[in-house]
Amino acid sequence: MRRLAPLVLAAIALALTSCAKKPDVTQITVQRIFGECRSAGAGARNPDGECEIITGLLDQFQRENPDIRLKVNIAAWPGYDQLSAQFAAGDPPDLVTMHMSAISDYQSRGLIEPMGPGLRSVGVDPAAFTRAAREGVTKNGQVWGLPFDNWAPLWHVNMNQFRQAGLVKDGRPILPTSADELLAQARQFKAATGKPYLVQAMANETASYSRNLYTWLMTQDAVFFPDPKHIKLTTPEAHRIVALFKTLHDENLSTRDQDYPAATSGFMNGDGGVYLVGTWMIGAFEAESHTPGRPLANGYAVVPYPRLFGTRDAAFVDGHAWVMPHRERTAEQRAAVYRLTRFLAEHDYDWSRTGHLPTMQAVIDSPRFKALPHRQAIAPLASMGQTLPPRVQRQFAIQDIIGDEMASAITGRKPIDTALADAERRVNDLLFHLL
Amino acid sequence: MSALDRAAGRNPWINRLGWAALVLAAGVMVLPLLWTVGLSLKSNGELLRDTASVFRGPYTLENYGSILQRAAVFRWLANSLLVSLCTTAGVLVLSSLAGYGFARLEFPGRRWLFALVLFGLAVPEQSVIITRHQLFSALHLHNTYPGLILPGLAAPFGVFLMTQYFKAIPVELDEAAMLDGASRRQVFWKVLLPLTLPAQATLGIFTFLASWNDYWWPLISATRSEMFTLTVGVASSQINFAQTSGLGFLMAQAVFASAPILVVYVFFQKYIVRAVSGAAVR
Repeated sequence: MRRLAPLVLAAIALALTSCAKKPDVTQITVQRIFGECRSAGAGARNPDGECEIITGLLDQFQRENPDIRLKVNIAAWPGYDQLSAQFAAGDPPDLVTMHMSAISDYQSRGLIEPMGPGLRSVGVDPAAFTRAAREGVTKNGQVWGLPFDNWAPLWHVNMNQFRQAGLVKDGRPILPTSADELLAQARQFKAATGKPYLVQAMANETASYSRNLYTWLMTQDAVFFPDPKHIKLTTPEAHRIVALFKTLHDENLSTRDQDYPAATSGFMNGDGGVYLVGTWMIGAFEAESHTPGRPLANGYAVVPYPRLFGTRDAAFVDGHAWVMPHRERTAEQRAAVYRLTRFLAEHDYDWSRTGHLPTMQAVIDSPRFKALPHRQAIAPLASMGQTLPPRVQRQFAIQDIIGDEMASAITGRKPIDTALADAERRVNDLLFHLL
Repeated sequence: MSALDRAAGRNPWINRLGWAALVLAAGVMVLPLLWTVGLSLKSNGELLRDTASVFRGPYTLENYGSILQRAAVFRWLANSLLVSLCTTAGVLVLSSLAGYGFARLEFPGRRWLFALVLFGLAVPEQSVIITRHQLFSALHLHNTYPGLILPGLAAPFGVFLMTQYFKAIPVELDEAAMLDGASRRQVFWKVLLPLTLPAQATLGIFTFLASWNDYWWPLISATRSEMFTLTVGVASSQINFAQTSGLGFLMAQAVFASAPILVVYVFFQKYIVRAVSGAAVR
């Protein structure tokens, strides 16, 4: 037994030494939305889907960087309940997806780190971002995240019905250039096809109302946020936008009472000429246009919102970004995070297959991006796209309030001016009570 | 008219009308479930075009396959099972002991303490969630099993239910047992506790169902994938705009998450019906 003792001690010492040995793999936690699925490849549900592409990208990064271990946390959309809880518990991830419109909520409370210098150190120059992307992640002159995409509401057009209504010229849809022209074309469309001109998700939906308003306020150069704590909606510019939608509703020139899934399948089944929905549906509608016998077969186009009011080309955009929460991390972990951001920036094109706009100007200008279906038509959004002013907080809540009041005005439950005044009061009340 | 109906003086047409109403009500109740199962058997692409395609083939199990391909789903299932069973066991033990104490023991401040417990019924979870989250954070209990189980153990309803049940049992039973030389522990364990089994079953079922279906607390306490419960896990698996582009998968998740609860229902149907009708509380 006495002879064995030194051997046992040596074994224990060896075990302890090996336990204490520094691991040569750096672990970082990446938290994202977009769901859980197999990566793009054989058997994938949708090779151009958000979920499949991001899964594939992170898997590829893991394969190419064996010295980094990615711990991927998938949060339920939009992920902010969980993220806020993680901050409260002092355990946020190292890198997390965040809507550009939500960055100010976290940045204003000092919860995320500025990323400009770190991005530059790995060769990702914010000057290379598109204007819309750069503005989306820049607050107080600093870059707070890696922009991953921009998205915007678009006019998805059923060209077969447009052709039937005589609204196609040289293979392109004839789009209105004013509110009056829109009404005239919508009436012409309805007379020719018997269908409403617009397909809209108007039930259980607030975002699309707000995005319509933002876009056409921007084209009129209206200053609706005179400062980040106040909104101004009791204006002629806002009134004329809401009045247009009310007329479309009253004259049955738009679908009614449909929620988002109903409006989407309605457009696919030929319920109307123009569907107001975002970049993310391009793939699904494009697939329909290649399916013989379907209402969109060989007859689908998509364009940015036409300028109906004002003199400026502008469009409201938002986007997804990767931000870096404040937390203790080693130099190796920090380096690993930035190596991942460089990888994601380098694969901007891959992500743009989802339908979202790339955030690197070089990708927008590249032939392979332009070769993707309809991307040439929506590429101008990268320069004319505009987020809300960078320091405006609680943009999700503001969107809900405005959408709620606009719905009341458009469906006739409130006079337009009352609804706009109520929206203004409620938003200002919300912003006043921010800590 | 049957002899039984004649003897009871009942009109058979009223009986038939009653049955018809019940069948109709059952149909209304079961339709959403059938709709959910039907949608789960269709491909997402077909449902994106037209949800009415649920009434015609082809049907597929690919949505269920997608769920099962993710190994984590079994971990989430195990987490949910562990959390629900531990919470249920804990609530039964604590509520029985507290109920016995309030019903049978005389101690200073008993009424005030019971009133305080009842006050807990009126406090919504939302009002304490931030404080609780901070407390668990300070104790480093987030992303742990105790962190998921402990909040569920504070069950004022369980204490109330068991107190009322113990009160309804005649005290003479305790006295007779004590005359036979039983200690207070033996009276509780061997005489009274077996008599409370219907109430225990009721409380156990309600607690298990509530714990299994809980979403909010696990969402903010279990933020690491390996600690997700099934409800949080399946929600995290949904693609954005799942209700449009991934409806079949979404419904398959709903069926998958509900299946264990249906099993519980099948086995404990008698007690659940009793519990809902209030028959368990005498």
